[in-house]
Amino acid sequence: MNPALQVGLALFFLGLACLALRGRLLVMLLGLELMAAGSVVILTWQAGVFGDPAGLAAVVLILAVAAAEAVVGLCLILRLHHAGRSGDAESLTALRE
Amino acid sequence: MREAAFYLAGAGAVFFSLLMLFQRGLYAAAACLLGALLQTGALLYLAGSPLVGFLQVVICSGGVMTLVVVAVVSAPRKAGAGGDPAMWAAGSVPRPLAAGVVLFLAAEAALAAAGAMSSAGASGALDARVGAVLFGPYALATEAAALLLFLAALALVSGREREAR
Repeated sequence: MNPALQVGLALFFLGLACLALRGRLLVMLLGLELMAAGSVVILTWQAGVFGDPAGLAAVVLILAVAAAEAVVGLCLILRLHHAGRSGDAESLTALRE
Repeated sequence: MREAAFYLAGAGAVFFSLLMLFQRGLYAAAACLLGALLQTGALLYLAGSPLVGFLQVVICSGGVMTLVVVAVVSAPRKAGAGGDPAMWAAGSVPRPLAAGVVLFLAAEAALAAAGAMSSAGASGALDARVGAVLFGPYALATEAAALLLFLAALALVSGREREAR
């Protein structure tokens, strides 16, 4: 296994662990960013190996989508806080009821 | 040299990610993520794509972390509204750990610089073709991503205005 794949997979699964194990919405959002960074490392390495610029184009699009997702996620979390609700994912059960 | 710097940057990224996983405070978790994202930027540079490394540093490490810090600073600290007050504590980094991190980053930068000098001009050949791909066969996806960013900015502004009212 090449080193970029090892690092990318490690980052991806650490981000996934952050998403699964932590209850705070903001920390879960940080975990999502880490997962995106892991996939970006793997894609960039593979684009270099195969000499394919389409891989780098996909990386640029992933970065843009990750930034948009962070903006919307933080906006929602801030609105929750300003509404006086906790930042715990477990407290958001409106759709379950 | 370049390979050693790559391994160092990879180890740094995994180290900061592990640190982030075990942080209780949001400031500390955000700082650890910043470290991991900066190391990822170095990894992308060393993987032969300086453009993507630069974008990673500017977009993720810069823009996203600024947003995270603004969110952490502007969130309420009261236990009733914001949850556990310890979560909002700034925390502190032990001095030996901080010194170790600085030494690690200095060694990595020296190795990366030495590697870049020895293979000057070899990297970035792929970057020159990215623009043609982005605005050629992937033009629709590029426009969609740009529209998504625009809508995200609109959501942020409209949310702030609604709160102000």
